[in-house]
Amino acid sequence: MNNGSKLAIALVALLASSMAHAQRTPQASLDCKPGGAKFVYDCNVRLTRAGSPLANVEVSVGADMPSMPMAHNVKPAKAKPTEVPGEFQARLELEMHGEWALKLRVSGAVNDLLVLRYEFDEKGARPAQRPTRGAAIR
Amino acid sequence: MDDYALGVLTNIALFSFIALSAYLLLIAGEMSFGQQALFGVGAYAAGMLTAMFDWPLPLALVAAMLAGAAAQWLIALPTLRLRGLVFAMATLAAAEMLRIGFELLQWQRTVEGEPVGPDGTQGFRGIRWVFESGVEPAMFLALIALLLAATVVLFVWVERSKLGATLRAVGADDELAASLGIDVLRVKLGVAAAAGALAALGGALYAHHNTYIEPRNFDIMLGVHSLAYALIGGLGTAFGPILGVLLDIGLLEGSRVFSGYRMIVFGGLVALLLIVRPRGLLDERVVHALRRRTLKSS
Repeated sequence: MNNGSKLAIALVALLASSMAHAQRTPQASLDCKPGGAKFVYDCNVRLTRAGSPLANVEVSVGADMPSMPMAHNVKPAKAKPTEVPGEFQARLELEMHGEWALKLRVSGAVNDLLVLRYEFDEKGARPAQRPTRGAAIR
Repeated sequence: MDDYALGVLTNIALFSFIALSAYLLLIAGEMSFGQQALFGVGAYAAGMLTAMFDWPLPLALVAAMLAGAAAQWLIALPTLRLRGLVFAMATLAAAEMLRIGFELLQWQRTVEGEPVGPDGTQGFRGIRWVFESGVEPAMFLALIALLLAATVVLFVWVERSKLGATLRAVGADDELAASLGIDVLRVKLGVAAAAGALAALGGALYAHHNTYIEPRNFDIMLGVHSLAYALIGGLGTAFGPILGVLLDIGLLEGSRVFSGYRMIVFGGLVALLLIVRPRGLLDERVVHALRRRTLKSS
């Protein structure tokens, strides 16, 4: 094999590895509905990586209050896998309505911590919208 | 140990850094409501260095401490001319300015195909050095505990040295200390820089523990708690602030005895202790008595 071929193979390997890295971080989305009791929510968690459902992982869901991240948090609940690949269910018992930073601890085939900000009220939860500083001033 | 217990212990250790930072300023006679901003400086600095520029964590921690020390020194330079409550308010104002600075900070780089870096009010996610390096949560807790233990040993050493006596003298009466030839401003500036470095170290570790930070993490609630821990635990020894953290996070938050009413109980505890024991549980008198008893028994 000449030097040119070796260089080409190395470039292809590098490109392939960078493409793999480009999709390394798992993505998560949540759908939470009131769970019958006050401040209790039943949440569906969907985990993907590179567009495919994340398999062979365990997930726990905790929550922090953004203004008191270490001192005001919710005990993590273990999420149960559903029949849909990459989908999990967890019951979240919050202490009050408002914005919470949900912490999804993923372990197993993938080891990661994903933090999602959601706004909780009587109707359920939705991603927290925050104006940029400039927009807030206008 | 389950994830929750690990999380509570990690939070206790992380809070201890900022509580010790507030304590250091308190024994030098200054009450700061702004240590949360330095915690934030450390979190952003170290987070940016590891996530955006691929620095190893140990180097990023050192850089974060330098950034925290520099930031607090710059804040202290004009504010240390003020006294008492006015100084406390000035530190709060400076901390809010820094927090708003974090809200305005938008600087992202594409790292391995993904945008990484602070995105203003939307926060800064992807501080994944711990996970990318294969460090397990228990190992990371051990690292944090080791750094905290080293910090406490340093505190104990300083408190038993001439420097410790100088700090206490400045904290007790700075005019008297000045009349004894102590350069009060220089001592206080040094203390401020050390306190900034300590808070920044805690913040840097927090950012890597959580993988995500946002400006709201560093608002006044964090500063008030750090001060309260030092005041509850006591100003007689560096173990005081850690005792304060253990009482609040370990006992009240960890046990969940009071559930959502914990903050009311915590506030009541702070008020009660400030009346009954204004210098905390482990105040100078208790520490002195304990030391005398230890010396007698040995």
